Amino acid sequence: MMLESNRGKIPAPCMDVVLIPAAKLRANNYNPNNVPKNNMDLLEQSIIDNGFCFPIVTIYDKEVDEYVIIDGFHRYTILTEYLGISTIPVVVLDHDINKRMAATIQFNRARGVHQVELMGDLVQALISQGMSDEDISKHLGMEMEEVYRLKQITGIAELFKNQIYSKAWEMVES
Amino acid sequence: MIRQVYQNETVLNASRRRISYVFDEYDNIVVSISGGKDSTVLAHLALKEAKKRGRKIGLFFLDEEVVYDSTIKQIEYLMNLFPNNTIKLWYQIEFRLTNATSLKEGQLICWEAGKHKIWMRQKNKESIQHKSWDKEKETVRDKNKGFGFYDVLDNFQNNRPNTAFMVGLRAVESMNRWRAVSKNPGYKKCFWSTKLQNGSAAFYPIYDFNFHDIWKYIYDEGLKYSKIYDYMWKKGTPLNEIRVSSLIHEKSFKALVDLPEFEPKTYDRLLKRIDGISIGSIYGKDRAMLKAQKLPKNYRNWREYRNFLLATYPDADKKTIFEKRYAHQLDNDYVARQQCRQLILNDYENNLPIDNKPDPRMEELEKWREIL
Repeated sequence: MMLESNRGKIPAPCMDVVLIPAAKLRANNYNPNNVPKNNMDLLEQSIIDNGFCFPIVTIYDKEVDEYVIIDGFHRYTILTEYLGISTIPVVVLDHDINKRMAATIQFNRARGVHQVELMGDLVQALISQGMSDEDISKHLGMEMEEVYRLKQITGIAELFKNQIYSKAWEMVES
Repeated sequence: MIRQVYQNETVLNASRRRISYVFDEYDNIVVSISGGKDSTVLAHLALKEAKKRGRKIGLFFLDEEVVYDSTIKQIEYLMNLFPNNTIKLWYQIEFRLTNATSLKEGQLICWEAGKHKIWMRQKNKESIQHKSWDKEKETVRDKNKGFGFYDVLDNFQNNRPNTAFMVGLRAVESMNRWRAVSKNPGYKKCFWSTKLQNGSAAFYPIYDFNFHDIWKYIYDEGLKYSKIYDYMWKKGTPLNEIRVSSLIHEKSFKALVDLPEFEPKTYDRLLKRIDGISIGSIYGKDRAMLKAQKLPKNYRNWREYRNFLLATYPDADKKTIFEKRYAHQLDNDYVARQQCRQLILNDYENNLPIDNKPDPRMEELEKWREIL
């Protein structure tokens, strides 16, 4: 299927998902992306909460009859190792090696970051809707410490209200 | 002998007494503000004293253009806190800054004429937009570098005789600061001062404040402070490491890593304003890339890596500066690693000077060789 865009026709591989046996998928050997453990747990939780929404992106390697992953290695790991799933939804692109490497980086880098202030607002909104700190920690993939910091709205100065002032010192010649 | 002696009063009372003393001694007082927490506290203490005495003091802010929006909001807040007692000395003039993350655009000229369309923001209506001193008498510390941050400070101070410049330095921040604020009396018997030209002096009335004293005062007085402190805290930065620094100079490019999460609009404007910003944001906390702590695996030692960086340095004029400098230095791995850092950070100004000495690890090795 093709999408009509103001820069011409753009293919939409996400409309052509196929199911492939997990054993036929293979990691690429160049992806520099690393997902820390806590985000892997969050990824697992996300797939459980939302279902598997994004197919693994691959190319087909004729010589060995295998599908090489160019995006979604960590999702693949969750499906197979964490959740014991044996058939995987994938899309197959027709990229040469250069385009393939570039695609891996494009998928990893072209994403946003969360504004700290808005994350704080979001956590406060969830709390006011009755969500517990523990649930927020689990479903948003945050440490309890992070939830605690994000939910407090009074700011850093408040932490010091019960401190007492230090003793002054002077340099004295003797 | 000089000794550090604790007094039977709080740092807060002592600072009020010190500020009152400066008001007694000087008619002209200028407080330097940065938008940070320390200068916020000092400015507030000094402004309250000014109000009590019905006097006016200057609040001096040297605007580097490339700063957090939160910093500018804080400056606006302080400038308008005691309007009847404040002389606004908000400087928005052209000068040079080092951009550590770009080899192509090694210096940023802030507020550069003709580039007003890509300035980070428009100038403030009440700011000082032209040099307020005689151009004939203007001093420049280093002609090769051009007119920089410290040159603005020098000329600003030299042009104001018989003035007390108050600065919010604190001794516990670092050894250098401890020395600056507590050694050698600059004015009469004040150890917490430094002598300047033309009867002026710098004073450090909150030199003995600890970190928590600053925050306690901000809380007690209900003062506003830069939002960056809250963002950093929410992101999990340890309390004592939380500070608001400049965005692009060679010691603080790490700030760029967090900028998209703190102030996305500032970050977007910065991308348009200068080269190298996204490099700083992506690799600012990466050991190999900008800090030169880990040797890239393609090189056998730091000397080899240094030679490569020097040979491929993109700017011929600056390359000569590095070559001349390194010709006088020892050729060992300890020195070479520091040279790599200078080359990567584009530090032709020598802001991160090189500790030129024999490799300490080699000395250790020699010692063992003798024993064995």
